[in-house]
This record gives sequence, C-alpha cells and structure tokens, in this order.
Amino acid sequence: MAVCVAVIGKDNSPKYIRCVDESSALQFHCKVHTSIDIIEEKLNVGNKAATDIRDLYLNLLYATEEYKIYGYATNTKIKFIIVLHSSNVSLRDNDVKMIFKKLHAAYSNAVCNSFYIPGDQLNSRQVQSI
Amino acid sequence: MRSAISVILSSPVPDNKMSHPDYEQTAHDHAALLLLLRPIGTQIKQKTVTRLCERIIKTGSRFSVADSTGGTRDILARFVREHPVENNDWGDFQTHRRLLGLITFGKYDNQVELNELCRVHETLKVKYSATLYDSRAILFGPVESNNVHEPPTLFSTPSNFKTRAVFYTDETCPDLETHVMECLNSLFWILESKRLERSREKIDRVSLLLAPFEKKDFIGLDLESRNNKKRCVGRMTKHLGDLCLQAGLPADALSNYNSAASVLQAVNDWLWLGAAFEGLCAASALVLYPNMCRSLPLQRNSSLQEGSPGKQRRGSQAVATLPSPPAIEVIKSNMPHILLPEEISKKYREAIVHYSKYQYAGIIETEASFKATRISIEQNCTLQAASYLSSVILINLSLSEQEKIDRFTTLSDLYTSFGFIRKASFCLRFAAARHVSQNNPNPDWQQCYNLMLQATSGFKLSLDPVEMSPENHRGWPVIQIQVITELVTAANRMGNPALSTRHMTFLLQTMYNYLTPNERKETALQLQNVSQQCEGAPVPLVLDSGTVIPPANLTNIPKTKSFILKNMQPHLQPQKIERAKEDHGPFLFTPINFGSLERKNISKSKVAGRPKEVGDLEILGFSTHTLGVKSNCRLRYMEGMVHSQYTVEVVPALPRIEVATSLPQTASFSSGDNIVTSASISLYGGESAECTVTITNSGQVPIETIELSVQSTLDTVLESKIFKWSEENLMAQLPLQAGASASLTLYLYAATDFIAPTSRNDISSSTYLSQPSSLMSHSGHSSLPSRLNSPSHTKRQSELTSSFRSGLSSHSGRSSLASSRLSKLAVPLHTSNVVEGQLNIKYSGGAGLTAGYCRISSVFVTIEMLPSVQITNWDVLPAETPSQFYLVLDLTNMTNHEMELHYTQTKCIYMEGKEPCRIPVPVDRCPLNKLSMLNGAGDIGELQKVCSEHIASLVDLRWQLLGTESIGKATLSGITLTQDMLDLVRMSPLQWEIKINDAVVKAQDELTCNLGECVSVGIGICNALEHPLSDLMLSINFYQDHHNGVNNYQLETRLSIAGANKVMLPALQEYGRVYHECRVVFFTTGQYKIDIQCSSKESTPNTPVVCSELINAGHTWRYIPPIEITCAILFFKLNRSFTFGHKLVENRYRFQHQLRQQICFLCAYFDKHLTKIISD
Repeated sequence: MAVCVAVIGKDNSPKYIRCVDESSALQFHCKVHTSIDIIEEKLNVGNKAATDIRDLYLNLLYATEEYKIYGYATNTKIKFIIVLHSSNVSLRDNDVKMIFKKLHAAYSNAVCNSFYIPGDQLNSRQVQSI
Repeated sequence: MRSAISVILSSPVPDNKMSHPDYEQTAHDHAALLLLLRPIGTQIKQKTVTRLCERIIKTGSRFSVADSTGGTRDILARFVREHPVENNDWGDFQTHRRLLGLITFGKYDNQVELNELCRVHETLKVKYSATLYDSRAILFGPVESNNVHEPPTLFSTPSNFKTRAVFYTDETCPDLETHVMECLNSLFWILESKRLERSREKIDRVSLLLAPFEKKDFIGLDLESRNNKKRCVGRMTKHLGDLCLQAGLPADALSNYNSAASVLQAVNDWLWLGAAFEGLCAASALVLYPNMCRSLPLQRNSSLQEGSPGKQRRGSQAVATLPSPPAIEVIKSNMPHILLPEEISKKYREAIVHYSKYQYAGIIETEASFKATRISIEQNCTLQAASYLSSVILINLSLSEQEKIDRFTTLSDLYTSFGFIRKASFCLRFAAARHVSQNNPNPDWQQCYNLMLQATSGFKLSLDPVEMSPENHRGWPVIQIQVITELVTAANRMGNPALSTRHMTFLLQTMYNYLTPNERKETALQLQNVSQQCEGAPVPLVLDSGTVIPPANLTNIPKTKSFILKNMQPHLQPQKIERAKEDHGPFLFTPINFGSLERKNISKSKVAGRPKEVGDLEILGFSTHTLGVKSNCRLRYMEGMVHSQYTVEVVPALPRIEVATSLPQTASFSSGDNIVTSASISLYGGESAECTVTITNSGQVPIETIELSVQSTLDTVLESKIFKWSEENLMAQLPLQAGASASLTLYLYAATDFIAPTSRNDISSSTYLSQPSSLMSHSGHSSLPSRLNSPSHTKRQSELTSSFRSGLSSHSGRSSLASSRLSKLAVPLHTSNVVEGQLNIKYSGGAGLTAGYCRISSVFVTIEMLPSVQITNWDVLPAETPSQFYLVLDLTNMTNHEMELHYTQTKCIYMEGKEPCRIPVPVDRCPLNKLSMLNGAGDIGELQKVCSEHIASLVDLRWQLLGTESIGKATLSGITLTQDMLDLVRMSPLQWEIKINDAVVKAQDELTCNLGECVSVGIGICNALEHPLSDLMLSINFYQDHHNGVNNYQLETRLSIAGANKVMLPALQEYGRVYHECRVVFFTTGQYKIDIQCSSKESTPNTPVVCSELINAGHTWRYIPPIEITCAILFFKLNRSFTFGHKLVENRYRFQHQLRQQICFLCAYFDKHLTKIISD
C-alpha cells in the first residue's frame, strides 16, 4: 500500500496530504514537495510536444533508496502524488495507475461539492477514504 | 550489486585516494591546461591578487597558438587558486587533473622578504614537481628594476631561485598579460612535445598507466599477459586522447578515445573505459558547445561564494570572443567519431555506471555526474540533468563535512540553474544542516543560517509578511513552518536574538492559521522568551551579507476585528462657521477605537492623539506591543479591514472652553450633540430665576467670538420668553485669554399658560366627558357664559349662567384637578411641566477662526415648571363707569402652599393650597385707537387678539407663596373672548347719551315711572371713530326679563311707543352726533328694559369698502348695560317710595292731573279693547 498520498493544487500548494506514518510526515512533505519540480518539468515537456494527447499518468518521478514516487497530473494541473516503499513490488505500474484513477475520481467528486471553493484545502471524506 | 563489484574490483584500503572533489569541473576542463595562481608572502594585498587574477584569467582562459604544421590550436586554460597535490595523482588517469603551471604573486620591501618569497615559490614548485611544466613569479618591489626579469639593483634573488620572475614596482603592471601569454605558450609547447613523444611511443612498449587506487590491484598480476598488454595499449591510447584534447586537437582526441574505448571494452577495464567514454563526451561537447559555460544562468553566479575560482573562470570566459557552434553535419564529416548530442548523455551515463563499479572512484563519478548535468543543461534536457543529480546523492563517499556542504551547495546551484528550485532549496537545507551537524568539528551557525536563508525562496517562503498574507499564501505550510523553526534555531545559536525574534514573530504572524493550538501556544511562549533577549521592533534587519530581513508585524495577535475612526466628542468638533449647527465638520483630534482579540476575549482599545501640525493626517494603522514584539499594524495588510487608510483633515487650533453653571446638574438629560454640562431648576408658573453660566477658556487659544443661541422644541416666542440673556455683557468680556473665565447670566422664566385650556369641561365634565372631542374643542369658546349674550338666545344659556355660578362654588378642587389632568393629554405643551432647552455657545478664535472653524458647546437646561395659578374661567361684566369693565376670574391655587395674590394695586387675596376663588379685576376698556391700528382683514380674530392682549397687558396678577420665597406673575395671555365679551371689552365706537325725561341717565341708575306716564327716551349717538359710519340703524326695543332666561319682547299689550323706535341714519360723520327721541307709555306695571342698539347695515358684497368700514359692517353696537325702568302705579309707588310720598304732597295737583290723564288713558284703552273684543 502507498505510504503517502498527496493532492497538489494548480499553484503547487498542497490541498491534501496524508501519510501512513504521521510521525514522519515532514519527511514525506519534503519528498512530495521536491517532486513537484519534476512534475513541473514533465508537464513543461508535454506542453512543448503535444498538449492534447498527454498521458495524465507521469510515471515514476524518482526513486530513492527507500521510496518510489509516482506522479499524476490532471488536465487542470491538479497533481496527485503517491509514495510507495521501494521494497513494495506487489504494486505494478498498472496498479499504480489504477490508484491514480481512483484518486482522480474521488477528487472530482469532492470538487463537485458545491460548497467547495476551488483552491481551498480539501476536506472530503471520499478523498480521505482512499 | 554496485558495492559487490566495488569490493571485487578494488582493494579494501587504498593508499591514495582523491579526497578533494572538484565540483566545479565542466567537460570543457578536460581540454584545459591547469594553472595555479597563488599569492605568497604576507605583504601582498588580497585586493591586488584578486585584480591580477582577474586580468590573467581574462587573457589566458582561451587563446590560440599557431602550431608547427601551420594550423591554429584553440587552447583553454583553467586557473585555480587551490589545488590539492593529491589530485595530481589522478593525472595519469585524466591528464587535465595535472597541474601544469604555477604563477605566484609576492611583494617585498627588503632583501629578506625577497628571499622568503623565492623560497616559498621554490617550495611550491617542489610540491607539484611531478606535473609542473613551468612557473612564473610576479614580484612587487620598492624600486624599479632595469629589466623586468631581473631583480632591481641592490636586490638579488637567491641562487637556488631558478624561476623566471617578473619584477614590478607598481601594481598596475601593464605588460602582465604579455608575460602570462608567454608562460601559457611555453606550457603549450611543452605539452605539445609531450604529446608528440607519447604518440611516437611504440605500441607494445607502453607502460601501464594506473589510477591511484589501482596500484595494489596489479601486484602479482601477470603484466606480460595478452590481456594486460591490451589494457596497457588501451589506457595509453586514452591518455594520448587526453593530451590531444588539451593540445587543442579534438579530432585526434576523439579518434584516440574511440579506439581506446574499443580496446578497453574488450579487456573489461571498466574504470578506464568509463574514462574513455567521458573523454569522448568531453571532446564532443567541446566541439558541439564551444560556448557552453556561457549558457549557465546568471543566478548561479550570484549564489556562488566569493572568491570561488569557478566563478571567475566562467565570468571571464563569458567576456572572451565566442565562435558560434558549427553545424553538426559539418562536424560529423570532419570528425567521424564525434558523438551526437543524444549520444553524449548516453555515453556519459555509461561512463558513470562504469565508474560506479569502483568504490574509490566515487569522486570521479561524482564529478562526472556534475559534468554530465552541465551538458544536459546545455542541451535543455532538464529531466536528464535531474536524474544525474539525483544519482549523485547515492554515491557513497567518505567526505569531510565541508566537502559535503560543497556537494550540496553545488547540487543546489545546478538544480536552481534548470529551475528545480524546490530540490535546490532542499539541498541547501541539507548543506545548512551539515554546517552544524554533530560530525562537523567546527560547527558554523552563521553559515548554516545564511544557507537556510537562501533556501527559503524554494519553499515559496518570503520573509516579508506582507507577501505571506493569507490571500496569497502559497507553498507548503508544514515545510515552511519547519524551515522557519530551523531559521529561528540557527539565528538563536549564532547569537542574534534580534533575528530569532524576527523569525519567530514571522512564524506566528504568517503561519498562525496552520499551527495547532498547542503549537501556537508554544510558539508564543518561545517568542516571549527570545524577545526578552531582544525586543522585536518593526525595522528591517540588515545582515552582514547585505540581506535585509523585512520587519514582521504581529497583526493577528491581537486580532483586530474592526477599526473605527471615532470622531471627537461633539463639543470639541470644529464646525465650519458658515455651516448649520447640525453639520458634522471635519475633526481635529484622532481618537481611535479598535477591538482586539486576545485569544477569546474581545477588548476595546482606544487610541487618542493630538496632531501637531495643520494639514491632512493619514492614519495607516497602529502599533502594538505583544509578546515582547513591537508591531506596526498597517490596515492595508490586515484582514477584514474596510478601509486601508483614513485621512483626517487637521484644521488650525481652536480654543476650548469649559462651561459650568450655577444651577445643579440634571441627573439625566436627553442626549444631544455638543452638550458639556447641564442645569436644572424647578419654577412655579410665572416665576423667574437666574442662572450664571461660567465659560472658562481651557485651551491655549484666546476666544475671540462667542455666539449664543437657544435651541428647543418650543416656538420662538415662547423660547424667548423663557430664556433671556444679555449678549452685550458677554461680548464686553471678550477676547477671553487662555485660562480666563467669563460669566453670562441666563434669565429663566417659567412661562406657563395660566388659562385652563378647557374650562367648559371643568364645569360640565359630567355631561361632556363622554362627548366626542370635537364638541369639546368647540365648547371652549362658545361656552363662555354671559348674561350679555344676545337676548334672543334661549333658555339654555341662562342655565349655563346659573351653572357657572353654582358650578364654581360646588366644584371641588379635586375634580377640577382630575379634569385638568385629562386635558393634559389633549394639549401636552401647555401642561407638560418640563421644558428642555439647549444653550449653544458657539465660539472660536486664533488661527481656527481665520480658517473659518468654530466649536460649539452646549448647556442643557431643564426647567421644571410647576403650576402656580390657573384661571379656570373668566367673564366680563360692565363696571360702574363706561370706561372700565370687570374681568371676573376664577382662579385656582395649584400649589400646596398658601398663596397671596395681588390683582390690583391695592387688592389682594389669600388662597389656601388647591383652593379656587373668584376675583373681579377692574380693567380699562380697550381704547378705540388701539383697535383703529388694526389693518388688514378686520376679522374677529384680529380684534380678539388685540383685546386679549389689551387685557393681558393691564391685568397684573402677582402671586407670592407664603412659606417659600417664590414670587411670580401670572399673565392672562391666551384668554379668549366671545363677540359679546369683546363689545364690553373695547370702548364702544359710539358714545351714547341716554336721556329719560330729558335727564341724562347713567348706567345702572334706578329709573321709575308711573303707569301710563309718557316717558321720553332720548338717545344721542356720537361717533367716536375716526371715520364716518354709514347706513346705521338705531333701534330701541323694550323687553321684560323674566329672570328665568326668558326675555319677552312681545310687549305690544303692555306699552306703547310714540315716535319711531327704529331710525335709519344714512351717515354719521366722524365725531358727528345724532339725537333721536321717542316716547313710551307703559300700560302695566313691571320692570322694563330698554335694549338700545345701533347696527350698521350689511355692506353689499359688490361695493368695495374701506377696510375700517369692514370692521363695522354688519355690526351691532349695544348700549350696555340696558336701561331698566320700573313702572308702578301711584299708590304702589307711594308705599315703595318714601321720597315719592313727599313729592306727592307738594305736587298734589300735578298728581291729580296725572291721575286724570291716566284714567282717560285707561278708558281709551278699555274702549279700544272692548271694540276689539267685540269685533273679534
């Protein structure tokens, strides 16, 4: 299972971040934060090449000795990041993709809430349930 | 796996390892000649050295040399300020690591110093002797030498000093460049010769070149094996490639590298294969991107530390002329082995992978990664660059802390250069942490803090709280909080409490919303602690590095909920003199009212200020001192503020007054503007009192003008009656200097209405209480009872008259009080016993007056008006003289005290409390000349007004309450009069002269006559008006008053009139007189009354009339009181009249004659009647 899930807004501010181990939250915050750089870069590249047919899934952003960080960006530049343990081999690329899909759906549902102001911190049970 | 290979391939403990990584290297450096620039001795100034170095680098970094074949070689040179001798050991592996040249700078003043400089130079030469080709010493002496290469006279170099030296006196050394170029040229030629030497070596004779750590690996190996031979050849080819590259022959280098790579690959010599690949990449990059160093972003330079050689090198290269990169196809045809851009990174990756197989090649690997990154940046492949960099971290090196710091700062620089600011900041933070890590033998908090500060931008953390306002807050609060906390710690540890206070304040201010309540509490406590060491102040802090830390203001602790600019107290507000009083002018002082949130309780704070100068005052915010931090809270930067600033117009100074009165203050008064004090008094109706108002100038400005006015809900007439003062008296006391006082006497008069509003109600309250109010109001006027009402009025009025008489006596004070209370509801003004007024004192002076401003202070005056005397009813009666009449008043003493009431000069009456009584007041009738002044529409209202004013002016009711000292005066103003009353009140315009039997009759004379006597009635009318009257009709009517309200005019059977009883008078001139006479005979005895009246005919509507005529038109004047004649028969008269009896004897005959006449008359009468009866 993922050790950390994050939803990042258009302006690269965190909307939602949740870690399995709350005590090392800061560490994950840093990891996720720095991985924005790579997402940005990937999105930039995409912009140059073909804006329309860009895969939302950004693949592995980078791997450290402990963790693998995967990224996913929607067309509205909302970014999802999942941090996995490096030792976790049960999850394949496709599985990660599936998680992202689910996350995206949950996020869409949360945003559909008419009381949600775009840009605010996410506070949705649905998102939290994943 | 990586470590496994390393263990296999490398010996566990190498003797030599390159322990000084050079993170600044680029691929181009592979082609550069390495020179060391080194100041020696203690004399030479750092500044001079820096300047000289710059010049050398500028000239020498890139130069061209014509070679022996006639071609030109582009040669690069790299100048460093430090070069660890250990790095030379890797010179066989990669020749650009060898130090080839040495240039020293020194300054001497005497021979000893010169000797020392030479010695140090020689020592350095020895140090690098293994690789050094050539050296120069640049020496500055006190005297000029004849030959630059010779020491000046009197000085000599030691004998062991074999270096070519350059001697200068001044530090401008104009031909420095020439000497440097000469040195570089010599280096090139030596290199070129070495290259040629190497290239001519026999392929099978070459020795094995070794990397430093490899020396042990080959002990015991068969050097003569085929494999080893190949290894030797491969390594040597690679080495030759290095030399070619340095000597400016990239094409040769490429082919050498290429062949070396194929050889080395075959023998699995991974380390050197890696080096060959790197060489290929470096050579290709050199050809493809000749300007590469230039493309490095500028901010890289700024973030580098001062004095770093890399910076200088790059800066200088940017200045050098740069050839544009040639097209790839052209190059490819010239150099078949060149790598295409995408191949470069691929090969570099391979090289790095090969390096990584050796634990001790970590530094080479790291450097290769950096070089590869720089190429990737040049190629705009940022992701690739990032991947190189991220692999750097994985390289396990045992480095000193300083080297680790360098590694991280370099990483950070590179990340920054391609826009990975978050990574860059992350690395900087790491570097900062290394500065103070436990392993660091000499922790440096200052450095740590500086790096930390640089890192903040990557976390979207601006140290200016304004940019961190909640609306535009970006970034990751959790990380930001961590960074700020670290900053606080670093600042604290480096002994700058001001900084830590600042950062702590910043943390609390900007991150308040992201902190848990517990953290907030902790942070606040910490802030309190640090601020004890250094109080926070809202000024920018300038660090040694020049960085400015903007001020952090705590605007949300306490949280300001609202900020209201409060006007001055109304009486201090300046008013525009032109304006109406109610207008709110601009204000002068600035009392501010703000609420604050201290955790949970809301408190209100008031800030007051006094402006010092005239003009516009802008209020931008306020200052607080919270938790030991002084904050300037600007409204602009605060949440929920309606206005970002307030502007106050400051007008010139105005005087201020304090007002006091001699009367006690009101306990509570209705709120109003400007009121500064109040006065209250109780007065009985008609009573007067004085109130002294003392005005003290409490300000600094003299008062030059004062204007007084009274403001109340009353009408102006009444107002002026109640409030009176002498303006002149006050004006005489002006100008009022500061501190001086002026007094003003305010005369107060209780102007109550003494006329009971509805006296009719009192009288017949039982009858009329249930009637609708319209009837009540109507009854007030018409009900006034009068015996003088027209005789044709019916019985009811007599009833009223009687009820008036009896009602007054029978009415108890209680019931009349009750009804007067009732009437209060109907007419509140008359009976409301409290009058409130406001004495407005408008004053100004000094500059404020010139500018047209004033202030208004008000005294609130409350007068409680107690009822004193009330006139419940009134009537007019004819007096004994025609010039006067009696005003009969029913008075009630409304007080509880005994009252003495003077109603004429001589007469007075005592009344018990609440007691009613009746008094007749003789009043002169209203003279005609008063009436004649009437002009305009001569309606009855005007007339009534004049008459009632006449009465009010003449009747002087003075009361005094016994027991108290109160005296007062009641006025009759407001009395209403009916038409009939009016006739009595005013002088008749006609003067009557009545004669009975030729004797002038006075009013109320008792007249008698005999039955059957012919009485002559003569009436003379004199017009007292100033204008003629026309169409008058004089009529004489006899009637009998039955004293039961019935007047009988049907007197045909009782009397007979000889002569006209109605006479038309066409005109009566002014002051003209007419006389008419008629006779009357009474048939029966009784009391007869003569109603003599003179009426003017109704004026025809069409004919225009003079206004004075209008008054009289259709009017009837009556002679009042009516003449009474008592008719009696003789004997009756005898009995009745003693006087008549005497006369009887004396005039016996006359009586006989009269009797006879009467009998005749009676006979005739009877005859007449008999015939009438018969005829009927």
